[in-house]
Amino acid sequence: MTREALPEEFYQLMEDLQAVDFVLIELNLYLDTHPEDLEALKQFNTFAQQSQALRRTFEERFGPLLGGGKSFSTFPWAWKEPPWPWQI
Amino acid sequence: MAFTNRKTYTPFIGRYDPCQPIRVKTYETPPHLYLGFQPPGLEQFSPKEALKRGTLWKALYSPYTSPYGDYR
Repeated sequence: MTREALPEEFYQLMEDLQAVDFVLIELNLYLDTHPEDLEALKQFNTFAQQSQALRRTFEERFGPLLGGGKSFSTFPWAWKEPPWPWQI
Repeated sequence: MAFTNRKTYTPFIGRYDPCQPIRVKTYETPPHLYLGFQPPGLEQFSPKEALKRGTLWKALYSPYTSPYGDYR
């Protein structure tokens, strides 16, 4: 039983999510040492919202990103299904 | 602010050194070494670009070139 390859949109959404999350990591580290920088903080919050929105659209189509209740699951239980991060 | 991302030094080579001596060795000097405390409001890459470059801020980017081949 061959599994159909992932649609192109999967990779688009995944790259957008990775880009947004990378910016969040950088800003998080930056804000640790620059707590007064309002511009960076505003940017952080907008990107955090963007990341949540991207995750929601991703998970509606491709199943949970995180286990342990940090993501909703599609039916049937999808957490154990491939592709895993190293397989995409 | 002229700086280079890679600098060289010449190690001491002993007379009885059994291996082929490496005459010039290099080390990384990325921009954050010269920056001190990062000023606010530095110019940024776009998110996609930042993901590829490995940093959000243009001033902190260093190409991380391979030293082999140029300095042998």
